[in-house]
Amino acid sequence: MARISFRAGEMNRIALTLLALLAPLSANALNVFACEPEWGALIEELAGETVELAVATTAFQDPHRLQAKPSLIAAARNADLLVCTGADLEIGWLPLLLRRSGNPGIQPGNPGNFLAADYVRRIEIPRVVDRSQGDVHPQGNPHIHLHPRNIERIAEALAVRLGEIDPANAGEYSLRAEDFLARWGEARDRWEGRALALEGMRLVSHHRSFSYLANWLDLDIVATLEPKPGIPASGAQLARLLEQLTLNPPLGIIRAPFENEKPALWLSERLGVPVVEMPFTVGGNEDSTDLFALYEQTIVVLEEYVQ
Amino acid sequence: MSEFELSIIGPAFLASLLVLSTHVPLGTEVLRRGIIFIDLAIAQVAGLGVIAADTMGWEAQGFMVQIAAVSAALIAAYILHWTDKRWPKIQEALIGVAFVLAATAGILVLAGNPHGGEHLKELLVGQVLWVNYEQLLPVAIISALVLFAWYWMRDRLAGFGFYALFAFAVTASVQLVGIYLVFACLIIPALATRHIASRNLRMFFGYGVGVVGCLAGLVLSVSADLPAGAIVVWSLAVAALIFAWLIWPLIRRVDRP
Repeated sequence: MARISFRAGEMNRIALTLLALLAPLSANALNVFACEPEWGALIEELAGETVELAVATTAFQDPHRLQAKPSLIAAARNADLLVCTGADLEIGWLPLLLRRSGNPGIQPGNPGNFLAADYVRRIEIPRVVDRSQGDVHPQGNPHIHLHPRNIERIAEALAVRLGEIDPANAGEYSLRAEDFLARWGEARDRWEGRALALEGMRLVSHHRSFSYLANWLDLDIVATLEPKPGIPASGAQLARLLEQLTLNPPLGIIRAPFENEKPALWLSERLGVPVVEMPFTVGGNEDSTDLFALYEQTIVVLEEYVQ
Repeated sequence: MSEFELSIIGPAFLASLLVLSTHVPLGTEVLRRGIIFIDLAIAQVAGLGVIAADTMGWEAQGFMVQIAAVSAALIAAYILHWTDKRWPKIQEALIGVAFVLAATAGILVLAGNPHGGEHLKELLVGQVLWVNYEQLLPVAIISALVLFAWYWMRDRLAGFGFYALFAFAVTASVQLVGIYLVFACLIIPALATRHIASRNLRMFFGYGVGVVGCLAGLVLSVSADLPAGAIVVWSLAVAALIFAWLIWPLIRRVDRP
């Protein structure tokens, strides 16, 4: 059996999972492969220690892009259940990884393939899919995890799916889901109470990563700095943006940890408003250790703006 | 090495072998002519061809993407062949200019239509670890044709032929293993063997450095869980240094042309 070592800073979770995968003793545990940290965190809520979890990306990696590493293929090959966002978010790498995994159970259409975006109502779906519009996402905005109702729907569906894949523990999954949803509902009420103070907050975001959050909390995202991912804005676009925002400046500019900081800093300097790095997902800052903490931190960051 | 690790390395290693098969001989010629950045320029133009096709409204997919990429690469090859005849002294500089023009033309076209951006990324940042066996067949056919043309018609290939072969070889291999690895396979074995006088020995050791470097890199990638393309480039460089500084000085007597 080969030794697999990891660079410092790699997610311990993948390392632990892989070591576990390579050890024959744990062959009975359900292996779950999550594409993004938020779904890893949700699996931990719903299944806890019952499953072996591997998470493909960290909060500091853009889920649109991923470098191929052997451990990823190993984790996908051994997975009984794959939990990803879908809606084309991982289109650049997940189909390749699935093909390369040689694992029939997690291919699209099989029970082992769970796409969270299938269970929520997506926003920003273009009315006419027309390539002249450029950044066309016919499936709508895939950054769905920052709306608590989405988390609820996905948790319900995921608990059912876990039970289908692993009937022996189905009872435990459904109990855990019930408990999670009860705690989540209470927390949501608290957050919504605090968020009244945030209503109508004017913000600029780097990319459309926070649209669901804005929908939920009634934030007003007045502009995005890089509407087309990876394509720098043109001089005319920046000039228009600056003119529009100078007259009516936003409270601040928000971005996810993996998004390029330069456009935000450029605008911040000219408008004299702060740039704030949102946690965006679980692990995105020191305190965002699970889904509850992620939402808590997100609201705390926004509250600091208002004060 | 477990069966599973072999299954990860297998297709990636075969892909490297295919790329090496054409790039080691082409690399010695590129080095001799002093036009080492030609692969970057040709690959970039191939990517531009795909973006242009997309913008002109062909729903470029599968085979059509390849046609667009190869056509653009062949046009670039023809232009570079012409500049090579017209201004041989500044050919390397012109290739550099062609590279930045193609790369930035891509940005300009994509500003109006970023949808082609996905194709561009697919074309320029192939990842050797994602390769599966089905993808290898078309590249194997192209490589065989390029090699056939190279070895049987080499002496008649003086002009455009060389550039055209290059366009085919680079367009096919960049999509498989990415631009860094293509550049490394082209230049590093050629550099390591440049002092060898006998053409056959040069090929033999060039292939040797390439195969050992690729295999060592892929094994390292699995045992240390590192991105495969990047670690293969480094192990190719190390293999080249070991050959040129340690092995060749001991056996150079075999090189009697």
